Amino acid sequence: MKTNRINKLYADMKSKYSIFLVLIVLFIISSIVDENFLSLNNLSNISRQISVVTILAFGQTILIICGMLDLSSGSVLALAGVFSVSAYIKTESIVIALMVAILVSVACNIINGLMITKFKAPPFIATLAMMTMARGAALLYTNGQNIYQIGDYIKLGQGFTFGIPTPIVFMLVILFTIWYILKHTVLGRSVYAIGGNEEAANASGINVDTVKMKAFIINGIFVGIAGAIFMSRVNGGMPNGAVGYEFNALTAAVIGGTSFTGGIGTSLGTLAGSFIVGFLDNIMVLTRVNSYLQQIIRGAIIALAVIYDIWAKSRRTKGTLGKVQAKSK
Amino acid sequence: MKKYLAVLLGFMLVVSMLSGCTGSKNEDKAEKGKDNPYRVAYIVRSQSDSFAAWLANAVLEEADKYEDMVVDIFDGQSSDATQNALIENAITSKYDAIIIQPNNGEAQRAYAEKAVEAGIITITTNARIDGVNGASSVDADPYEQAKVNAVVALEQIPQNAKVVVLDGPPGNFHADARRESWKKEFFDKRPDVKIVGEEIANWNKDEAMNYMETWVQANDKIDAIISMNDNMAAGALEVIKNNPKFKETLAYGVDGTAEAVLLIKDGIMTSTSLQSAYDLAKALLDTSHKLVTGVEKQIDIDIECPLINKDNVSEYIEMHKKAGAIRN
Repeated sequence: MKTNRINKLYADMKSKYSIFLVLIVLFIISSIVDENFLSLNNLSNISRQISVVTILAFGQTILIICGMLDLSSGSVLALAGVFSVSAYIKTESIVIALMVAILVSVACNIINGLMITKFKAPPFIATLAMMTMARGAALLYTNGQNIYQIGDYIKLGQGFTFGIPTPIVFMLVILFTIWYILKHTVLGRSVYAIGGNEEAANASGINVDTVKMKAFIINGIFVGIAGAIFMSRVNGGMPNGAVGYEFNALTAAVIGGTSFTGGIGTSLGTLAGSFIVGFLDNIMVLTRVNSYLQQIIRGAIIALAVIYDIWAKSRRTKGTLGKVQAKSK
Repeated sequence: MKKYLAVLLGFMLVVSMLSGCTGSKNEDKAEKGKDNPYRVAYIVRSQSDSFAAWLANAVLEEADKYEDMVVDIFDGQSSDATQNALIENAITSKYDAIIIQPNNGEAQRAYAEKAVEAGIITITTNARIDGVNGASSVDADPYEQAKVNAVVALEQIPQNAKVVVLDGPPGNFHADARRESWKKEFFDKRPDVKIVGEEIANWNKDEAMNYMETWVQANDKIDAIISMNDNMAAGALEVIKNNPKFKETLAYGVDGTAEAVLLIKDGIMTSTSLQSAYDLAKALLDTSHKLVTGVEKQIDIDIECPLINKDNVSEYIEMHKKAGAIRN
């Protein structure tokens, strides 16, 4: 009886938390392979390096669970970032600069939301259009040139809050926010319901369009913050910055178990997905793996992690189905 | 009635199109000058690339100085297919000259040859496409750009030094030639120097920062950062600029960006070499003018790539101030 319970607990752990097992295994292997990996500084570096992409990934998570996605987040990040840097140069106020970043990004995401809800454009196409427009706007605004001499703006991405690097503090606060929204609010439950079955959600009285708009606005706030942190971290307003970050964010969310079919995903899973990519990149540089080989290994590990996750989950579903069938007999 | 009206409108349309064609032919034959300027198409690699955008802006500024020549800019958007289509369009539109800043020299070679065959003056730039018969070229030699830094580094980098190397995108002419130059002019002559990290950071500051953060963990000492452009050097320096352990670290780049000259002025970066968009633009327009007016048949030139270090940095700060890239 006791063994059964332990087996059940193990099976449950394996299926529900499979991605965390992958993360732990990768962590242990990395610690053994290179002595520098475990140093506090290195772990803090990894967290700081993944913070921008992870914040974007949290936005993607809520959108993907709701059956959508955002291909424009890298470009909108750059647009929000350059406006924010400009605002800082004019006002010397980090608060105003951060607000400008959030406002610009939310405005872009409201347009995304409107295209999808009012004009029924597929999210892939609508956000693809925004991706091009936002990048163009960032380049037009800066005339294609980087903005330098940004003064104390760098504190946002390079400074410390309560002894912790500020980008990590932002990442953790946003993690808590997204976790709370998804777990404990009506909006969170509606997001899962719409992603699971939009028609059923509509029939049960959920205002689908409003929920989708809210999801985009939340994504907009996150992307804006990420934009300010990115520009501050690189010490400049870079209209060409963060190219392809939307795909890194999607990768983190999907590795973390968020399903493109909608209705499935967690904030902690996304965090784990992001750390898997971060650990992997870090250990490959520490052990001086050839740059070309790194790309192959990165792709292979991503594929393996996702296949393992799907396999573990399907076993759980099969197991549950088996029990139900046995009982019905 | 409606039928007749449609036929009449159709006829008028055809006549107006034909007259349009005749008009343009007459225009071609007309004397070139202020009212009928030479038309130059400049096919930019990508206006999203900060150096290419700087160069495109400089070309437009320079073009204003010529009364008998106008330049139209077309954005290749970092895509071979787009760039090739733009070259074909420029041939069809019968431009007097086409300047190609290739995305990938080999992919644009056949199209540059097509332009020459069509009797259009063809100039390749940044980087030049070698061996296109009948085409001219204006470039900054990437091998030389790295070499001016490598030569001073031979003296500056200490014995048995540990260095890190930041590379541009593989296959890119400038990235490969600059790395080759560092190999031949520095690493082959200094076998005592050990490369403790080398990564492709794709010209990007943020990618270079991530690599440097990791290298700093693995190495107590990094004597020099050898970067194939200023952007990546600035990214690596961003990581160590406040770390006393790496106060003596030397850093070399290429391009002479506003950020790099400011870092050299502050004593954080060691040296870079200038790839001046203004000089390139000036040479491009001068070459175009000489070729379209028939003063010369073919021109192949390289602009200079002076070394920028703490001794002469103020001169280049002034240059960037004039361009508005550095605020007073």
